[in-house]
Amino acid sequence: MRPCGVFDKSYGLDIAIIRTWQHWVILISALILLYTFPLFGSYYLVSFMNSLAITVIVVLGLQIVSGYCGQISFGQAAFMAIGAYTSAILTIKFGFSFWIALPLSGIMAGIVGIIGGAPSLRIKGMYLAMATIAIHFVVIWLILHMEITGSFKGLYPLPPSLGGFEFDTDERIFYIIMTVMVIMTYAARNLVRSKVGRAFVAIRDNDLAGEVMGVNLYYYKLLAFFVSCFYAGIAGSLWGHLITVVNTEQFTLMHALEYVGMLIIGGMGSIPGVFFGVLFIRILNELVMFSSPVLAKALPWLGSSPAAALGLIAFGLAVIVFLIFEPRGLAHRWEIFKASYRLYPFAH
Amino acid sequence: MRKQSVIFLLMVLAICVGLVTLSSTSFAKEVSYLSLADYTGPIAGLNVPADMGLEDYIKDINSKGGVDGVKIKFIGIDTRYDVARAVSAYKRYRRTPRLLVVNSISTGIGKAVARLIERDKRLQIVPGDGEFQAHIQRTFIWGPAYQDAFAATLDWIMDDWKAKGNSGAPVVGYLSWDNPYGREHLRGGKEYAEKLGIKFLPPEFFPPGTLKHDVYLTRLAKAGANYIHAGGVDPTPTNVIRDAYALGITKKIQMTTDYWGPTALGIGVHAKALEGTVITSFYQRGDDSRNNPFVADLWKKHRGSMEKFNEVYGMGMSWGMTYVAGLTAALKAVGYDNLKPDDMYKAYQGITGLDKHGIQGVCAYSPTSRRGSLEVKIYRVKNGKIVPITDWRKAPDAVSLHKF
Repeated sequence: MRPCGVFDKSYGLDIAIIRTWQHWVILISALILLYTFPLFGSYYLVSFMNSLAITVIVVLGLQIVSGYCGQISFGQAAFMAIGAYTSAILTIKFGFSFWIALPLSGIMAGIVGIIGGAPSLRIKGMYLAMATIAIHFVVIWLILHMEITGSFKGLYPLPPSLGGFEFDTDERIFYIIMTVMVIMTYAARNLVRSKVGRAFVAIRDNDLAGEVMGVNLYYYKLLAFFVSCFYAGIAGSLWGHLITVVNTEQFTLMHALEYVGMLIIGGMGSIPGVFFGVLFIRILNELVMFSSPVLAKALPWLGSSPAAALGLIAFGLAVIVFLIFEPRGLAHRWEIFKASYRLYPFAH
Repeated sequence: MRKQSVIFLLMVLAICVGLVTLSSTSFAKEVSYLSLADYTGPIAGLNVPADMGLEDYIKDINSKGGVDGVKIKFIGIDTRYDVARAVSAYKRYRRTPRLLVVNSISTGIGKAVARLIERDKRLQIVPGDGEFQAHIQRTFIWGPAYQDAFAATLDWIMDDWKAKGNSGAPVVGYLSWDNPYGREHLRGGKEYAEKLGIKFLPPEFFPPGTLKHDVYLTRLAKAGANYIHAGGVDPTPTNVIRDAYALGITKKIQMTTDYWGPTALGIGVHAKALEGTVITSFYQRGDDSRNNPFVADLWKKHRGSMEKFNEVYGMGMSWGMTYVAGLTAALKAVGYDNLKPDDMYKAYQGITGLDKHGIQGVCAYSPTSRRGSLEVKIYRVKNGKIVPITDWRKAPDAVSLHKF
């Protein structure tokens, strides 16, 4: 919806993502704020932003395959593991630069994703969800039983470097992670507006109708899995080089479930929804985690463990309440909010 | 509507101010201890009672005026056994003034936090990963390494095998979680078995959280195991042995577990199935712990009746004893004003021989040792109770047998 008085006077304006000068001001201000954040943000907030951005990349991938293409996937954590391990192996064992290992990790995860997505050609819905859960366990099992992956010991990738400059602190690697996140968001935003994106939506809404209209289901379903896993692989690579240790305990089914939860809360089929979902869950998680010691201090008779459990209950309640009152996700709420001020002074 | 919104906002503001005030209030002289624990995940059964013991011990120390006037602040974070959450929590607290010790509870978390610990010149304590003994750095383990305790179990198995009038060596099976913890025992433990001439069957691994273990147990039984060692943190070993009992395996095969084996809780539920199970532990179990006056007094003081007592509580207390001993030494060396985490690291290496009131063997931390103690005691489940069948005995050094 265009703001009142804003008209698309050319085709270029019609397809533009950024349409008005206000949009440009907001975008440039946001980017300046983002890239100067390590200068004023605390160490903890910077490291939190790093993990937040990596999660955004993973969930963006999931949004493409599930939110846009309608293929439910619980394999995202496993594909992230593939990216993390590929990057670690390429840099440690084959001496590749991080900058080459990063895209290769995405490609590797994407290729495995095509294999993992193959069942989507024959099954859908909950059956596909079960198949992707199986893929998760197969991937983790393979990692644990291969020599090159360091088996259960894991691998220790080094932080990225460029011309002798080491990105070895959270503040330094922040710039790499944020740049990748911005590029990946831009790419996802454009992809879903393209012919490919429309094919994804057609498959999601009615695959039979889509096929009748000429959408090649096999090609586009596998493409959706490839793109989704490419995102997961890139996120995995960044995660590995950020934390400098990679083992299978970092990529559990619980993580995959959490990513799906983020998607539902943020809003399926919406790029901003990814940001809302990730922010909501991660901030809530952090609040719960750090309010427990405060609760334990305020109520000493309670002790730390029950205080932690209270936090978990609060987390569950928040998610339930949210799903009851806003089942279409935060992105929908955001659309309502945007509509209300864009139509001002008229009622919406 | 607007009035309601204002009231709501004011309430949120009041809660935020309250939380900030509460979290920022501190004693004049204070040091911190960070527990990256699992209070609601797969190893909560171990973590919750252990941290209860530690918290109560700290409360007691603080109520007596602290250590040379310095109070200890306990920060307990629920990681849910998740590495990412633990790393995030450590990053949140790493700049806490005088955060001297981090307890990273899980092998995976310990490995992930270790690098940050080195960078911050701090020390962390972790469950039993022998790698930290093989590569001496700033990570200390709670007791003997997993592989050491497993080697002690193998020694007992050999003794038991001979005592039953058998010749040669027995066939031993092993099953545990399919994760770094589950495999750690074999890094040195397997070499020790070979040294003893034991035929060691291909190990079986299953994902944490598995509810039935019939397939793995049957495979080991069919392969001719005389003894099966069940790993995992309780309730996992309890569930494994429950399944073995249901399959009739426990009639022919002796089940053994490591120091996270069945606690009083599991035995209360599956007493029949667990009967005869052997537990190798570096901390007091069963009535040994319940009758330890030092442990029982603290429990009664803070928790009341002994009905719900869990022996892991004592192990938590021993973390507190080590912390207090280290803090005392560090304060003596540099004083409160100059106290840095690095001083605590140095102090921990000098508390060799610290007596832990019988809860576990004396402290073995030193510049060349990261083991919390060297001794283990073998227990057996008899008539629904955990009773000792050996005295404290030194666990063999299995870490040195493995090439890390």
